[in-house]
Amino acid sequence: MMDASLKELTKLEKVTAPDSKGSSITVTLDSLLQTLRETKERFIRGDCTEQQLVDLVRTIETKKKEIEERQKEVYTILARLGKALDKKFPTSLPSYSDLFSSPASVEALERTIALHLLRTGQFEVAETFLKESSVIIQDDLRSQFVNLHHILKALRNQDITPALQWAQDNREFLKSRSSSLEFYLHRSQYMRLLLRSHPPDTRPAIEYANVNFRPFYEEHKTEFGRLMACIMYLPLSKLQNSSFKDLASPTLHFDLEPLFAKEYCARLGMSRQLPLRVVGDIGGGGALARIEKGRKVMGDRKMEWDQMTELPIEIPLPPENRYHSIFACLVSKEQSTESNPPMMMICGHVISKDSLQKLNKAGGYAIQMPILSSRDTNWCGSPYLSVIFHFFGSSPLRKPVVQLTFFKHFSKKFCTCIPYYCTHGPVYN
Amino acid sequence: MANKVNHEGIMLFEQPFVKVPYENYKKIFRTQQKNVEKDFNAIQSSSNDLVSKARQGNLESEDALKALDGMIGRVENLKRKLNDLHEQSGKPTQDVIRERLHHLATVESLQNSNQPEFSRWADTRLDRWLVDWCLRNGKESSARSIAKEKGIETLVDISLFSDIRRIEDAFARHSCTEALSWCSENKTALRKVKSTLEFDLRMQEYIELLRARKTMEALAYSRKHLLSWTDTHAGQIRQLSGLLAFTPDTAFGTYKRLYDPSRWNQLAKSFRLAIYNLNTLSTEPLLHLALYAGLVALKLPICFERPATNVDCPVCDGESGTSSRPLGLGKLAEEVPYSHHANSTIVCRISGKIMDEDNMPMAFPHGDVYSREALEEMAARDNGRVTCPRTKNSCHFSDLKKVFVS
Repeated sequence: MMDASLKELTKLEKVTAPDSKGSSITVTLDSLLQTLRETKERFIRGDCTEQQLVDLVRTIETKKKEIEERQKEVYTILARLGKALDKKFPTSLPSYSDLFSSPASVEALERTIALHLLRTGQFEVAETFLKESSVIIQDDLRSQFVNLHHILKALRNQDITPALQWAQDNREFLKSRSSSLEFYLHRSQYMRLLLRSHPPDTRPAIEYANVNFRPFYEEHKTEFGRLMACIMYLPLSKLQNSSFKDLASPTLHFDLEPLFAKEYCARLGMSRQLPLRVVGDIGGGGALARIEKGRKVMGDRKMEWDQMTELPIEIPLPPENRYHSIFACLVSKEQSTESNPPMMMICGHVISKDSLQKLNKAGGYAIQMPILSSRDTNWCGSPYLSVIFHFFGSSPLRKPVVQLTFFKHFSKKFCTCIPYYCTHGPVYN
Repeated sequence: MANKVNHEGIMLFEQPFVKVPYENYKKIFRTQQKNVEKDFNAIQSSSNDLVSKARQGNLESEDALKALDGMIGRVENLKRKLNDLHEQSGKPTQDVIRERLHHLATVESLQNSNQPEFSRWADTRLDRWLVDWCLRNGKESSARSIAKEKGIETLVDISLFSDIRRIEDAFARHSCTEALSWCSENKTALRKVKSTLEFDLRMQEYIELLRARKTMEALAYSRKHLLSWTDTHAGQIRQLSGLLAFTPDTAFGTYKRLYDPSRWNQLAKSFRLAIYNLNTLSTEPLLHLALYAGLVALKLPICFERPATNVDCPVCDGESGTSSRPLGLGKLAEEVPYSHHANSTIVCRISGKIMDEDNMPMAFPHGDVYSREALEEMAARDNGRVTCPRTKNSCHFSDLKKVFVS
């Protein structure tokens, strides 16, 4: 925790405050000034003795010591603060020389930053940035972002009109993504109308629903029903305590902003999350630390590390950052490629094509397959296969192993090549 | 793993964040010490002077008053200086340290990265990285503009980089004066890290004198500033003496290289390394390090297939959807190795969910694979029939086959 550092910092603030109790440097200097002024007055009066001057020298000496003591105290606390910080932040950042320094990379990063600034609505900053860099963003792309933020601002001010206009203009696109944006915009407006008046006057809301909700009935039957039924629970105080309280919640309106931005960016062919945030969060949320650990393990072979094409260690990713299917062969542990696609055997197990061919050649139609759950075994007992269970007695893993024996004419017709599923990104909202 | 906040991984980036103001405070403290020392030495010597004059019996009261006024003036001045130093530098720097420690304590108290507080914190962190990147790449107006817009002036080190810029501008004018005065301000620290920056600067000034054919001045300069480095730089000093015999036109080999104006760029680079080092700043922009690690974690061969396969993937770089070559992060990703995966992760193209034992992958007879949940939902809507969204092949749910990938 930061506590140790904060504690030392508080001490530092205390001893360096000019009005701190006791012997702050200011107090010492003031008292010195007083002595000096007194001596001066004595001289003016003409009764200053040699002894008093010697005393003055001594006073100056003492005061100097006092201040030095004070400084020593500050120094000690500073050193302790330094130690606390070193303990909390023991490792300095690694160095990767010439990373992203080629002109092409600099341009790519500048472009990414410029788009990030535009997309997050920081238009003034973006202008400054574009002036200071060599990247050019087309005007129409820029105006797209200006438009986005204009619509978002209207949404924030409870004006759905521009958002609705956009949704209607892009109805086909939204439909292809099975997006509910347009319906949710209407829903927001309907609830606003419903809750606007006191005592409740439901007519404007019902009229609105009458005009606007019909096209959405098929796809949103349940929600449709709820929106109508919630009228019976008015006024607001009662609605908030009913099973329809989600409809009274402000998030019903606030959530429109991120939803709209997501659809708008998708229309521009852009990701739903901010790319810089996503990559930065992964890198700054453990990935670099893990890579550094790996580099340390490699030790002297650092050169090899810099030249490798694939990282030797796995960096775990949260589910929302899994953008592609990855097939790693259970036998060879290699990732599939176009020339080495995953192949499904008749039993449903999938291994890489290379592994399949190797095992087929070497093992004479017999494949040993480690399995992870007992459920698989039931499935392996298909008429094509004879299944023999045995355990690796010596294996530290003690994983059950199924031996699959294929018919002699085991060939391509018994396995289905499925090269597709790992070569396409998910099609979803 | 899931969405737990990885504090260790986050803090790895934050050493400079707290160390820069800490080092800054140490400097302020040293300035304070120097001031005290200087002024006390002065008043001590004049008070001793008074005593000795009094002892010799030739202390004129007028002189004494003058001396005392001088001393009073000095102490008052010192008091004001120390006060100003504290108010204008010391206190603000303490506040910066406090604010930054609090900023880090905030993220330490968060456990789940799905919390909105974490998202806000990460937003600020990205802004800090952008400011750092702009500052290191000479985009000072952008840096200031981001810092101002986000109100994070205390969380970024604009003034440190203004200093760097000032000194580098001087290099561009072929002047070492600014850098040398920085060196003397940081003498002890530089000695501690065994930096030879000062020697390099002195060397350059000497070379410039010779370039201007001011031989006598160069000799004097060498005696004054270079000879003290003999213990460690004897060879170079000998070479520099040899340089006396050459003009930029007649020099060859090593001597020609000494006259090379590109040495100024080299100096600027060494200076940057030295000032980064003293402030525990990383040699690379923080944004580069974060992007490097993030891209390594994400990069797959498939990200480079065209058309881009998943616009949501930052590496796929599907910007505007039509471009055939990556223009943004995908371009940067070309510089990093591929991620490594010993285990399969199969993402359903219909639901976007990761398939596992509870949501098994199911294969159509023609080979496409989707998650069981998504297919069951589809079958429920269409009387048990399922249709592959990619190929439009359709079959009965019972014709689907379970797939085992692990």
